[in-house]
Amino acid sequence: MKTANHRYPGESKFKGWLYLLPAFLIYFFFTFIPILETFRSSFYDWNGFSAERTFIGIQNYVDLFSDPLFLKAISNNLVFIIFYSIIPILIGLFLSAILTGTDLPGFSFFRTVFFLPQVISMVVVGVLWRWMFNPVSGPINQVLSLVGLDSWRQAWLGSFEFALPAVGSIGSWVQYGFCMVLFLAGIQRIPTEQYEAAELDGANALNRFIYITVPGLRAEIGVAMITTMISALRVFDLIYATTKGGPGETTLVTGFLIYRSAILNNRIGYGATIATVLTVIILLLSFLIRRFMGNSEEAST
Amino acid sequence: MKKFRNSLIIMLTMLLVLSACSSPATPPTDDPAGQTSDVKLVVWDQFYREEESKVIDTLNAEFEAAHPGVTIERDSKVLDDLQMTVKLALGESDGPDVAQVNQGRSDMGALVEAGLLLPLDDYIEQFGWSNVFSTSVASRNSFTPDGKTFGQGSLYGVSPTAEVVGVFFNKGIFEANGWSVPTTFEDFEALLAEIKAAGITPISFGTLDGWNAIHEFSSIQHLLVSPDYINNFTYGVNNASFNTEENQKAAETLLNWAKAGYFSEGYPGIGYDDSNNLFKAGQGAMTITGSWLAPELMTGTDQEFGFFLLPGYSGKATMAIGGVGIPFAIRKSTEYPDLAAEYLDWMISPRAAELWAEAGMVPAMSLPADSKVDTDNLFGDTLLAWNTLNKENAVGHYIDWATPTIYDTLVSELQKMLGGLSTPADFTAAVEVDYAKFLQEK
Repeated sequence: MKTANHRYPGESKFKGWLYLLPAFLIYFFFTFIPILETFRSSFYDWNGFSAERTFIGIQNYVDLFSDPLFLKAISNNLVFIIFYSIIPILIGLFLSAILTGTDLPGFSFFRTVFFLPQVISMVVVGVLWRWMFNPVSGPINQVLSLVGLDSWRQAWLGSFEFALPAVGSIGSWVQYGFCMVLFLAGIQRIPTEQYEAAELDGANALNRFIYITVPGLRAEIGVAMITTMISALRVFDLIYATTKGGPGETTLVTGFLIYRSAILNNRIGYGATIATVLTVIILLLSFLIRRFMGNSEEAST
Repeated sequence: MKKFRNSLIIMLTMLLVLSACSSPATPPTDDPAGQTSDVKLVVWDQFYREEESKVIDTLNAEFEAAHPGVTIERDSKVLDDLQMTVKLALGESDGPDVAQVNQGRSDMGALVEAGLLLPLDDYIEQFGWSNVFSTSVASRNSFTPDGKTFGQGSLYGVSPTAEVVGVFFNKGIFEANGWSVPTTFEDFEALLAEIKAAGITPISFGTLDGWNAIHEFSSIQHLLVSPDYINNFTYGVNNASFNTEENQKAAETLLNWAKAGYFSEGYPGIGYDDSNNLFKAGQGAMTITGSWLAPELMTGTDQEFGFFLLPGYSGKATMAIGGVGIPFAIRKSTEYPDLAAEYLDWMISPRAAELWAEAGMVPAMSLPADSKVDTDNLFGDTLLAWNTLNKENAVGHYIDWATPTIYDTLVSELQKMLGGLSTPADFTAAVEVDYAKFLQEK
């Protein structure tokens, strides 16, 4: 912290802030103003294109909390947290633990492959998995038939029982590589002496993992938790490309409901209300995770 | 430090470029309307598929040739993109002069209510449009000026193409098994059982995308209800209700077909395009969808297909879902309303009819008498079906036009019923809740 205030002679303090200006301007005009505008719209009855909009106070909010579709969508989002956050973090921890310290040939190749889903556009991912899950020509059902499990064949994305887990598992597939790479980097930072000392004291691999690796990765787990959870709550493109919220409302999520209300049903005000509530929920949960995970920055140094 | 300064300059330049992009383009020339010196007519359409796009390009080039000084600036978009952007663009002073605007309350109705579309009533007489399309067709593109009542009031658009929902069948499969085109609904159901018994999928179908499930249900519904009912229901007049015996019977028939295994295996997980691909590849004897699929089925396959209307119950007339395609409308604030109207007239001219027919699409206008288009094929079948319905005044409606939210409700409730979560009676009751709420708030 000592060097932060050091300046070359004649260099003004003001100059430092100037470097932030371009990013700030972009953020201000393309993110902050739209957020404010969305918040303002949530108090109006407006179709999005006519000149007049009617101020209706908090009526949209009143409607929202008695809307069964919204409650269904939010509860589906919560299920998505399991698939987007918890399962990928567990897989990521497991993979990074077994990959660390081994000199597997082609290690970096596998690391890249596992991370790859993260950089593919979600719509492409959706189209790809829609094909995978196709009941007639998709590989999943074909493999099931091949190994004699014909009775396990499903209309995956169209099934009331399996659609949500099926779409959710796509999310897990996308997110676990990100968690793994994050944890692999974190493990490098844990001093090897700790492992050696534990080994001398007779701790087995599992104990070393539970008592050294996991606590050592606290900061990374916190970061993974927050980013994946935000993805789970704002998921839209994946649903749009696979099930459109169906069958029934089985996979309806808040992001899709916003699109349906604001764009398809010309209710920008109501869509803005859902978006505002969703933003508050995301902020609250992020805050809570940070509290529970402790101050990540301090924990990591 | 120099490096940083450079990147700062680059970023600021980028910002400038970005802001330049969002500032309005140069204003249109101040030429008074009607003058044909360097007029630019901006047209937005959704004919982005190759065959369709060629038709519009040809028509535009011929229009330009007939109007020296006029250039058409064409922008063709996928329907979803067009729907999302056109509402905002029509409110701008430099928006499209002519644009395709989807029928129904959420699109055309909302735009009429916002005062963004030009009423076309004066042009009906000027161009003699009443000879081009019937009043039943015109009402599909009509709203009262407040945008609240659908099917009456002023005309706001003209449609170049027509569509009818019916049954495509695989001629090879039919011939190999000695099956013929059924003439009554009872025969049709008997045929379904026979095809199933022969180990072939009777109807290639999938509900993953949702909307085609509405067509499947409503095709049966159209055989049970009267034309008046469908009109009343769609336009929201005369206290129509969805919770009727006929609608329940239609839903039950659909459910029975599903239970009897008449649809593709795993149909809840199959999308619309996937289901068509299965049918095109010969996996399925029939599929129920709109005539728009015909061009697709006439190329790139060794199978041969035919088309017939879902036949009526014996002793009862046939009615089928159908209508005219997405209409061209004029922005109210355009500087060139008369030129735009001339463009609309050209879009529904005999020449346009000929070009659409050549592309395999059913034109909304009648073909010229000396037309040389080959009709001894699948396209001819769909054209015949449209002409038959038109003559008998049996063109039905897309029921999802009825309210802004009924599309979502119909899709969701049909999926629930087919998935065994609800009964046909639950289905009609749930849709009625949506419909009654709309009528009450209207």
